[in-house]
Amino acid sequence: MTTHDHVLDVKNFSVNYGFGPSSVRAVTDVSFTLGTSRVLGVAGESGSGKSTLVYGLTRLLRAPGVITGGDVTFYVPEGDAARPFDVLAASEQDLRTIRWSHISIVLQSALSALNPLRRIGREFDEVLRTHEKAMSKSQRAQRSVELLELVGLDADRLDRFPHELSGGQRQRVMIAMALALTPELVIMDEPTTALDVVTQREIVSELYELRKKLGFAMIFITHDLSLLVELADEIMVMYAGHIVERAPAVELYRSPRHPYTLGLMNSFPPLHGERHEMTGIPGSPPDLKALPTGCPFHPRCPNAMDICRQQVPPLSSIDESSRLVACWLHEPSVGATVPVELSKKSGSSAGVGQ
Amino acid sequence: MSDVTRGDILLEARDLSRHFQVRGESGFFSKKRTVRAVDDVNLSLRAGRVLAVVGESGSGKSVLARMLSRIVAPTSGELILNGQTVDLTHRRTLEYARQVQLVLQDPFAAINPVRKVVHAIERPLLIHGTPKGDVLTRAHDVLESVSLTPPQQYLERYPHELSGGQLQRINIARGLSVNPRILLADEPISMLDVSVRLGVLNLLRTLCDDRHLAMMYITHDIASARYIADETVVMYAGQIVERARGTSLIDAPMHPYTQLLVASVPNPESLASRHESTASTPGTIGFNYDGCRFSPRCPQAMDICHRNQPPVVELGDEHSSRCWLPASDEQRAAVTITTKNSTPVGSETS
Repeated sequence: MTTHDHVLDVKNFSVNYGFGPSSVRAVTDVSFTLGTSRVLGVAGESGSGKSTLVYGLTRLLRAPGVITGGDVTFYVPEGDAARPFDVLAASEQDLRTIRWSHISIVLQSALSALNPLRRIGREFDEVLRTHEKAMSKSQRAQRSVELLELVGLDADRLDRFPHELSGGQRQRVMIAMALALTPELVIMDEPTTALDVVTQREIVSELYELRKKLGFAMIFITHDLSLLVELADEIMVMYAGHIVERAPAVELYRSPRHPYTLGLMNSFPPLHGERHEMTGIPGSPPDLKALPTGCPFHPRCPNAMDICRQQVPPLSSIDESSRLVACWLHEPSVGATVPVELSKKSGSSAGVGQ
Repeated sequence: MSDVTRGDILLEARDLSRHFQVRGESGFFSKKRTVRAVDDVNLSLRAGRVLAVVGESGSGKSVLARMLSRIVAPTSGELILNGQTVDLTHRRTLEYARQVQLVLQDPFAAINPVRKVVHAIERPLLIHGTPKGDVLTRAHDVLESVSLTPPQQYLERYPHELSGGQLQRINIARGLSVNPRILLADEPISMLDVSVRLGVLNLLRTLCDDRHLAMMYITHDIASARYIADETVVMYAGQIVERARGTSLIDAPMHPYTQLLVASVPNPESLASRHESTASTPGTIGFNYDGCRFSPRCPQAMDICHRNQPPVVELGDEHSSRCWLPASDEQRAAVTITTKNSTPVGSETS
């Protein structure tokens, strides 16, 4: 299928850390499709495999990380059609033609991503010189200024060193660099986690505007579910390397189906309404070296049943066709009674945590 | 501990300031410049109450906590512990350290990674003179009080074997082991996984209630401050810009900076207003020391804001804001007169 409305197709993707019996499974059987100009949010706690997933997808994963299976197809636009590009089978040389010009990535720590001994301008120049060989020096300089203006920074920042910029400015530089070659897909790995809320708000608004203007697709990773609800079209919630729920952003927020998603939402105290005691999720995040049998969430799940302890629930669609959830509660063959908080109609306006 | 009743002031800071000398912007030989990390902060920590200090990075909130625990010496100001002025010219006494305990942000860095957990808990007990025979029982008690049960299972482990949430509980337990009266928690949940944050927050609240601890909860997350605090103060550039009891600070913010903070929190409930650009202009690293420090970023800044330090305006119900907007005509007039006499308000600090 070479449809032009997809940028990325991922099927049964799995990643291990290490080999043999001591290996740890970090990402298990992940499949998704990302449409052109769409924003996919990936939510999960540390250790849920969300970063490993995108490093794997872009082949940036370092040893001992091993991709153990799956297919990753990126669609390279060529005129009106699209050429499928098998990311996992590609050679390093072929990957270089894709990276940055078609897929770019913004990392969490901008300070460690930028060379502290180089002025910002030189970083831009290097990217453009490597990938746009036809550009002259003055064209490159002009393009760098354009890019900075795109993210709301003055041209004089090009002469600065990374340490002379504030955290928000550095992250803006990273975003500008990621957009330098107008990629079709930008991956954001917790780009705002190290920033304070005011700066986070500004950067998120800016990303929203930029995406509207430039039309790139985005994979946005964060642990902050409420941020994703604002930014993403679709949200994927990960737990212990598994996708536990996938749904359109607003529907996920209005009517979570997986107990973990609900628990995550209830872990953020609300900004409005009466103060009342909240519980979060009991227990600790899972140890990937010693995952429980069955559903990895069952030791912390308030709704755990016998079957949850024995078998891993499949990711399957439920009532609404666009939604997927991996939970035995919603499996018709099990015949469990779904608790009312996990079966809300998505149309209802009742917010969570109110 | 039982001699303390709820609401008593245990630790008070009066006009506490800390200034740092830093190199000027134009290079190594340029004139030194003073950064006022904390400037004239007044606050009191009360038994059984949680005071939340909210601010972005660089607002001086951590320096404030370190001054209260006397790790950092104040440039000026007074500390009053249990009604008695603390002698700031001498080193911190062991008794002061026992009564005022600091819990740090990163539990992975705060606990010695090459020693077992028992070592981390035992050390403060031994330093503060617990008899050797009682140490282990105390260690067990204190771990139980932070819900790490059975304690034996945790004491014999190494820090890397525990999760972030468990480590932070041990970090809190260590602070509690010497029976402090005041607990200063510096961003205790920001390094933790989202799903365990509330557990630690609830634990802090329970400890505060049960043991009549006076607690300072430092955070950049205004929603968690609203969840836990009895009183909230907002810091900006070293000053307290707004303070209020209960939830009223967040429910009805008066200072433009607090309003900006509240508006910036991701809030899926108001999807309609999403992605409206906020009024602030980022990138101003320096602050305006003559006028209001927030004035360069303030969407409602007036002339007077750039020239004169705003007064602390009482808004009733223990709610106050350091801002010219709600200031009365007399307060404004006072400044106009002093400006004419060319001695601006706040000149003693500039």
